[in-house]
Amino acid sequence: MNRAIYDALETIYPAERILMRDAQLLPYESDALTAFNTKPGAVVIPLNEDEIIATVRLCHELDLPFVARGSGTSLSGGSLPIADGLVIGLNRLNRIKRLDPRQRIAVVEPGVVNLHISQAAQPYGLYYAPDPSSQSICTIGGNIAFNSGGAHCLKYGMTSNHVLGLKVVLADGAVTEFGGESLEGVGIGPDVIGLFIGSEGLFGIALEITVRLMPQPERYRTVLAAYDDLGCAGDAVSMVVASGLLPGAMEIMDRLAIKAAEASVNAGYPDAEALLIVELEGEAPQVEAEFEQLNGIIAESGAFETRVAQSEEERARIWKGRKSAFSAVGRLSPDYIVQDGVVPRSRLGEALLEINALKQNYGLDVANVFHAGDGNLHPLILYDGREPGALRKAEQLAGEILALCVALGGSITGEHGIGMEKRDYMPAMFSEEELDIMQALRRAIDPKEIANRGKMFPGGEAPALALQGMHPLEQQGVISRE
Amino acid sequence: MTANTLRGTSEIQDCVRSNERVHVVGNGSKSALHPQSGGAALADVSALSGIVEYQPSEYTVTVRAGTPVAEIAAALAEQGQYLPFDPLLPDCATIGGTVASNLSGSRRYRYGGLRDFILGAAVVDGAGRAFRVGGKVVKNSAGFDLSKFLVGSLGQYAIMTELTFKVFPDVPRFRSLSFRYEQLDAALDAIATISGSAYELDALDLLPPPPANKGEQAQGWALMARLGGFAETLPQRAERFVESVKRETATMEVRELDEADELWNPLAGLRGAAVVKVVLSPRQVPALDAAIKRSQRRYGVGGNVAWVATDDLAALERALLDAGLRGLCLLGAVERPIIGAPVERQLSARVKQVLDPQRKLV
Repeated sequence: MNRAIYDALETIYPAERILMRDAQLLPYESDALTAFNTKPGAVVIPLNEDEIIATVRLCHELDLPFVARGSGTSLSGGSLPIADGLVIGLNRLNRIKRLDPRQRIAVVEPGVVNLHISQAAQPYGLYYAPDPSSQSICTIGGNIAFNSGGAHCLKYGMTSNHVLGLKVVLADGAVTEFGGESLEGVGIGPDVIGLFIGSEGLFGIALEITVRLMPQPERYRTVLAAYDDLGCAGDAVSMVVASGLLPGAMEIMDRLAIKAAEASVNAGYPDAEALLIVELEGEAPQVEAEFEQLNGIIAESGAFETRVAQSEEERARIWKGRKSAFSAVGRLSPDYIVQDGVVPRSRLGEALLEINALKQNYGLDVANVFHAGDGNLHPLILYDGREPGALRKAEQLAGEILALCVALGGSITGEHGIGMEKRDYMPAMFSEEELDIMQALRRAIDPKEIANRGKMFPGGEAPALALQGMHPLEQQGVISRE
Repeated sequence: MTANTLRGTSEIQDCVRSNERVHVVGNGSKSALHPQSGGAALADVSALSGIVEYQPSEYTVTVRAGTPVAEIAAALAEQGQYLPFDPLLPDCATIGGTVASNLSGSRRYRYGGLRDFILGAAVVDGAGRAFRVGGKVVKNSAGFDLSKFLVGSLGQYAIMTELTFKVFPDVPRFRSLSFRYEQLDAALDAIATISGSAYELDALDLLPPPPANKGEQAQGWALMARLGGFAETLPQRAERFVESVKRETATMEVRELDEADELWNPLAGLRGAAVVKVVLSPRQVPALDAAIKRSQRRYGVGGNVAWVATDDLAALERALLDAGLRGLCLLGAVERPIIGAPVERQLSARVKQVLDPQRKLV
């Protein structure tokens, strides 16, 4: 990073909030897609929205690419820095500015941790619904960039469905606000909230976010059913859906994922080929009636063991195993890639069979955990990055799984976003014209393409993920892997 | 105005390419959205009708934009499903017009509004390009979500030809109740208590007191609540709910309501030269209400939307501006459909620049 840029940053930040030394930059070189790391030119740590706005305007003026970053939990490489670019670290903007239990809203800064909102709302019997597995560390700003979901979004939607108002700075420095406190969000005029959310940091940075809070359900009924066949678990999901029930969550884990969760958090899961978690939530009398119906379905579905959480502790334990599955897989394998393609629910069984065949062809292990209610797969492809060609093989398998999702009429990503990881698969989902239109839109907002440059769109300057042996940038020592 | 009945995407593309200004219309159920002058070619898409794909097990339905909402509702009902955003004018509106004007009904209280259930669309933009936005599965986060941007876009950015929605299983039975409050403040306190509670209502609308005749006692505000669910659980749920409302709010009277057709149509009985949707939060209801006391009105979705009938649109607009609120005129002969506080321009102008650079779509 050259002197002129540093001098310009110094007009906004005191020296201690401009990080440039190698040791300071290290934690920012990669995110939860650990296959890559890139050294940014500098990291700045704003403390308020004025500093963010000034920084974005400076970047626009100086043609300096930037990445806004919260806790760096993106699974698609969405917060991977740009070589020699700027990282705007938002963790210090972590204030819940207002929590209004009467209107059931919270106004928060982008660096607020997802779970902290629910914790702050808890005394009022309220919570913030979207619950990505990383909710204890991931920030709302990142959730907005990637329209994060979670296990409970079948019924109440993803981040986009819970944001009522936004103040943002666009990539060219313009500041704009939309929506407000009404449940209708924007309500009149085009839904710009919906457009901004999920734009993966390419449009700009969210400065202030108004989210809606929901009343905590009176009753949960969480059922864990064990199967000796993955297909039976999938069929059980179809039976639940056909019955007209609308559970808050339906999750499936396969044997390898169960093993990982057991090794990691000792969730006490049964020894099974597949586990199905179904959670009903709502008013007690209604939930109890639904629970009776659900029990009948599970009994017919061929489960060899069924457990019902008898207390909040038991419910938490069931979920802990599921939510820790990703990190748990890290115990089974030095490296893994997680995909999050979506298939129509009725084709889940087909998709799983196909993934099974693929993993055998590739000689790789794949652990499956998925949001079965909405057809959102999470195959975790295990590999050892120290073996020559292993990452490439894992990547190829991941690519075939994504192609499979598109071929079955689904999507290449349900909630992790395109980021770095899936940008080369965008043409599988969108036509050239559609991609051109998205690019044109991006340039209309960010003519210099400085906001999260190299993400979402195929090609671009950032290092490509599909590696063949050593990546050229890796050979030059520009990027490296642990 | 020349009306062109368009039957397919390529006809819409031709219409956009060969005209300088194009105004899209479906069944024309919302008179205020269709200005009588301006010289734009009228692109009538009502013939672009029919269900393209409906898979109940996927919770998704794909329809042509000109399909009447009633037709979709009927097809879903056959499978025990429904559009949870509860389209506002189910009898006569098309689904495209419902999306373009963002009109969800009272039942959107339960699971969310139109924006929460749109998954994808096929469109023709102002440059005559035909393309898809969003996806066809219940969950998808690939690319920019332009399908949500279409919600409320009034046909000014792109003409929708096909739409995909998430649908849900419907509930078999309903119970509707009315709670009476002497003053608006007490009714709003009750709304806050009820909507912050674990009681899961299908709808929660507030009706102002009808004009009292001389010598009659004032009727008070009527807070209407609707419960939906299994027939066997509804009596117990209703009883628990009523007890709780009596205990926690200052209700003067509880009444069971007859589940008649018009009960949950928020526009039923609203008569005026113009009918307007106003977006607000419950906190903003008292100030607005004080300014529009003589208009017929109904506060829907727990005080998050107001439906107002007025003979004095200028006065309503002043009231909206004072309160920093915005309204969308639905019915009536008006100059422009959006009144009150201006809509966001920074981001939407960039979209216009890309999708309709010659500003053809009006």
